[in-house]
Amino acid sequence: MECLRDEKIQHYLEKSLSSVEASRIRDHLIVCKKCQLKYQQYVQMENGLADPVYTEPPAQIVKNVMKRIYVKLPTYSSIFALIAASMVLLVSWIYIYFDFSNNSLIQALKLTSNSTYNWIGQVIKIISNIFSSVYAIFKSINKFFEIIFNVNIGIEIFGFSVLILSMILVYAIYLLLVKRSGKQKI
Amino acid sequence: MLLDDDQVLIEKILDGSKLSFEELMKKYNKKIYNFVIRMVRNDEVAIELTQDFFIKIFSVLHKYNFQYKFSTWAYRICYNLVIDHIRKNQVYVDSLNGDNISQKRLVESKNFISEDGFDNLEKDEVKTYLWKTVDQIPMKYRELILMRYLQELKYDEIAEISGLPVGTVKNRIFKAKELLRKEIEKDGMFA
Ligand SMILES: [Zn+2]
Repeated sequence: MECLRDEKIQHYLEKSLSSVEASRIRDHLIVCKKCQLKYQQYVQMENGLADPVYTEPPAQIVKNVMKRIYVKLPTYSSIFALIAASMVLLVSWIYIYFDFSNNSLIQALKLTSNSTYNWIGQVIKIISNIFSSVYAIFKSINKFFEIIFNVNIGIEIFGFSVLILSMILVYAIYLLLVKRSGKQKI
Repeated sequence: MLLDDDQVLIEKILDGSKLSFEELMKKYNKKIYNFVIRMVRNDEVAIELTQDFFIKIFSVLHKYNFQYKFSTWAYRICYNLVIDHIRKNQVYVDSLNGDNISQKRLVESKNFISEDGFDNLEKDEVKTYLWKTVDQIPMKYRELILMRYLQELKYDEIAEISGLPVGTVKNRIFKAKELLRKEIEKDGMFA
């Protein structure tokens, strides 16, 4: 019998040969020093492979993952906060809208422009400005529809679009502040 | 249906248990991290990829099918993540393909010989040398050796994870061990 190929020895080690073939190999291993050595090398390797050299994973892995995934989970309180924030924003839109028509809020802000709460006035002024430009756009769209199709969109649709706008705005702020901090690279 | 240990944990995780996810991570951390680090051969990348792996597992856990073994499913996700990374950053060269590297390693192996000055090495040193050699063989062999011995998977599981036929998996693992044996013999590192 000629010498054993590596593959044969490996099959023999894995006991994946027929009993006839296995005994033929056993017989050869007894008489052939060269194949015996190869066989022993495989035995040594098998032992070494079956007992791997592991590196201890750095502790930061588990910590970082926990930090990253459990921030992203939405909770009932965050959903409630989202809805509440939308409502607050909507109410302020409406308030500013009605106030915008008689300008009393803006007048009042002008009178207190030196007060320490001046920045609130600035914010409301900015909101008023946004609102007035939105309102102006609405009016021109309304006019456009009136001229072309002879229909009036009406204030209900305008109010509805303001509501949607509020929701989008709050959601955008939420995404920016909450989700982003959850995804931060560590 | 009878659930195994992993599946019990997964049910708890899906019910919102933070602690169970931490437990699952600690269970797989060693085998995942060691597989990844031996594939990419870079500490920082290995840490990053292992983290990405667990985050991915968490985000797709609701899609896990309880009819299959969790470990096979998870290892496949890990394997795909690593292979994706390597494809995108093809800078890894398999050392055993170059002759000059063999020369360099010859010097290394001399340093490796124990103080007695003979290559009559302790069993542990053979093991360490063997695992160092594993890091040097071409990736298509290395990945299978790592799955078989480091992650302790069966041939059919490796076939499922790598997408190769079982026969190919077996043949490649045999070929890989032949490569390892010849390399270690050439360096005179067998005890
Ligand atoms: Zn022989």
